[in-house]
Amino acid sequence: MESFKALARMNPRQLAQQILNVFMVVTSAVMLWKGLGLVTNTESPIVVVLSGSMEPAFFRGDILFLNNPATDPITTGDIVVFKIKGQDIPIVHRVVRAHTKGSDETQSVLTKGDNNKVDDRGLYPRGQLWISRKEILGKVIGLVPWAGFMTIAMNDYPSLKVALVGILGLIALVSREDE
Amino acid sequence: MSKSKNGDSGEPVKVFKWDGVAVKNALDDAIREVMTKKLPYTENFNLMDGRLLICGLAVGIAMFALAWDFIYPFPKSKPILIGCVGGYFFLMGILTLYTTFKEKGIFVVVMQKDPAGLDPDSRWEVASKMKKFDDMYEVTVRLIDGKSGASRETDFKRSVADFIDENGVICQDIIENQIMKMHSSLTAAKKDK
Repeated sequence: MESFKALARMNPRQLAQQILNVFMVVTSAVMLWKGLGLVTNTESPIVVVLSGSMEPAFFRGDILFLNNPATDPITTGDIVVFKIKGQDIPIVHRVVRAHTKGSDETQSVLTKGDNNKVDDRGLYPRGQLWISRKEILGKVIGLVPWAGFMTIAMNDYPSLKVALVGILGLIALVSREDE
Repeated sequence: MSKSKNGDSGEPVKVFKWDGVAVKNALDDAIREVMTKKLPYTENFNLMDGRLLICGLAVGIAMFALAWDFIYPFPKSKPILIGCVGGYFFLMGILTLYTTFKEKGIFVVVMQKDPAGLDPDSRWEVASKMKKFDDMYEVTVRLIDGKSGASRETDFKRSVADFIDENGVICQDIIENQIMKMHSSLTAAKKDK
């Protein structure tokens, strides 16, 4: 294809610029993501619902927007996203009990998925009956139904992820901006 | 139509003639060939290096932010992240300013040595412009005299169809003709001074 031949004809500087262009597409996306995380004060401001444990409020594939204002107390009824020690995947469930104790207002929270029969104590690490404020990444403040279907597809079929990244990378490498 | 030599291997350059960006870039490359190979001038990379530096710095900052955030997870990484994200987008702004005001469509700069070896080099800059979905290719050739600093320029605005045949092959000889004409006129004007 002509585009690849054009790559071969470039002098080292032009090639370096092309490679940097590819990088900048990625880094711009990443920096926007990190920036969004800074604004919302949470490490993952946008998450995709992976299970049906919160139906009918959330369905698999919905996109959730999170916020984590430092001074906002967690109250019963809030839908929170939390990560259990030792686990990578965050869980989105509702707060069914919340206790505040002591002069420093430490919070202990019990969560349960709306669609689950039991509360989350079975998910917490052995011996842990409550989760603390620190384990909570944020509260859900917005929802876009269905928009996360791509993430679900890529989770179920990991080769899709590789294919998508590969194709996008190739396209970025051969497309030259107006120089 | 004559198929002329181009490119380092001597193969004629072929582009997908309906892709405006590819066509413009191929024509720019053809002009670069004339300025550096046909004419005895050496290419000056300062303009390009400046852009590479800004982009490289931005990517470096982003990589650093990623690495730091990986080693010291959020929220411990917050201050560094704020600095890096801010710095990254600041550099993006600088890049836009650089491309708009410094580069200004210039895609090749060459230095012409003074034959007597006394005066500083003169500089030739070639810039091009082509609107999206338009076939008009506008090229400006500028000569900045090494001694006086005075600049003189000439330009042309022609359809890309003048330089490419039906198969999308770039006609290097037609480009060469056009550029050499402009080169002679600017050189002659310089001598008239």
